Amino acid sequence: MVKQFAQWLSTTSPSVFIQNHNSWVIPAIQSIHIVGIGVVLGSVFMIYLRILGWAGLDQTLRQTTTRFSPWLTGGLWLMLVTGLLMVIGEPVRELVTFSFWLKMLLVAIITAIGTIFQISLRKHEQLWEDILVTRRSIRGVAILTFLIWVGIIILGRLIAYDHIWGPWSPATKA
Amino acid sequence: MGSLVAGNEGLMPLDINGLLKYLEATGLATKIRDSLFLFPLIESTHVLGLALVFGTIAIIDLRLLGIASTERSFQRMASDILKWTWGAFALTAVTGALMFITNASVYYHNFFFRTKMVLLVLTGINMLCFELTAGRTIHGWDRAPSAPRAGKAVAVLSLTLWIGIICVGRMIGFTTTRAAAAPPPPAGVSFDDFLK
Repeated sequence: MVKQFAQWLSTTSPSVFIQNHNSWVIPAIQSIHIVGIGVVLGSVFMIYLRILGWAGLDQTLRQTTTRFSPWLTGGLWLMLVTGLLMVIGEPVRELVTFSFWLKMLLVAIITAIGTIFQISLRKHEQLWEDILVTRRSIRGVAILTFLIWVGIIILGRLIAYDHIWGPWSPATKA
Repeated sequence: MGSLVAGNEGLMPLDINGLLKYLEATGLATKIRDSLFLFPLIESTHVLGLALVFGTIAIIDLRLLGIASTERSFQRMASDILKWTWGAFALTAVTGALMFITNASVYYHNFFFRTKMVLLVLTGINMLCFELTAGRTIHGWDRAPSAPRAGKAVAVLSLTLWIGIICVGRMIGFTTTRAAAAPPPPAGVSFDDFLK
């Protein structure tokens, strides 16, 4: 069904436009997407370093999230827009892959975790600042969730190489 | 057959074509080319590293420009962040070199690869310019909301150069043949079929 949708999408006029100009439109969109990755990863990285106590200790955790949240949100919107444009431009190459859907699953998981963290920090600010950031378990969770970001970025690039998943990849089925 | 002629001068210290061929023939390069997943994994790690390089440098540049983190000590931020930038840069250098050796002569002659190397050198010179200008007077503006004019100019150049590096870097992939092990795209993904 996804394959049929992708094939239909590739016949729509926005998709045909991108396909007809793909020599520069696709690389341009991908480059903006990578700039977005830089903004997003840089922002979350700084928040993680603050939680782990490895950087930014002259700032509170709340100050750190306030500093980076707008950039994180802006970067994520940029990624969503450029990501959608890539799907529209190359629907089959994007959607008929294992990497893309695993990446989307991880994006959903990290969005949930990020939202829970933001709400929890707002509700229990003092608890986070004084106690939680010093807890080993919280640091462990922080490192684990950072690895989800790492996975998302790696899977994004692997969309171009979906054959590495062998039988898991729908692209290898003719 | 220009490369063959150069190859005959194998004893010359500056035989670049011979060196490129040698790099391609190394066991490491062969191993990466022959593997189904090594090149994709190396390339993904390269993207991860460059995202951290760009993301962390942008934080410093925005501080110099007085756009973000304006209330923080510049020196404090630099010592907090730049070690991670260098670590991530080392990761991109290693993964970049590994990709390079799999197809050295093609990358070496590629316009976008060469442009990227020039831009990287320019970022180095730009960094040196910072050290020689605003970098010398940090104690005077460390807590000011933005750097002096020279520091701002360096920041604008830095952001421009790094975004340029990302763009030409992406173009390298579109203008060079991928690692030999990558099979042709599977049947059914050619858009021409749908457009007919």
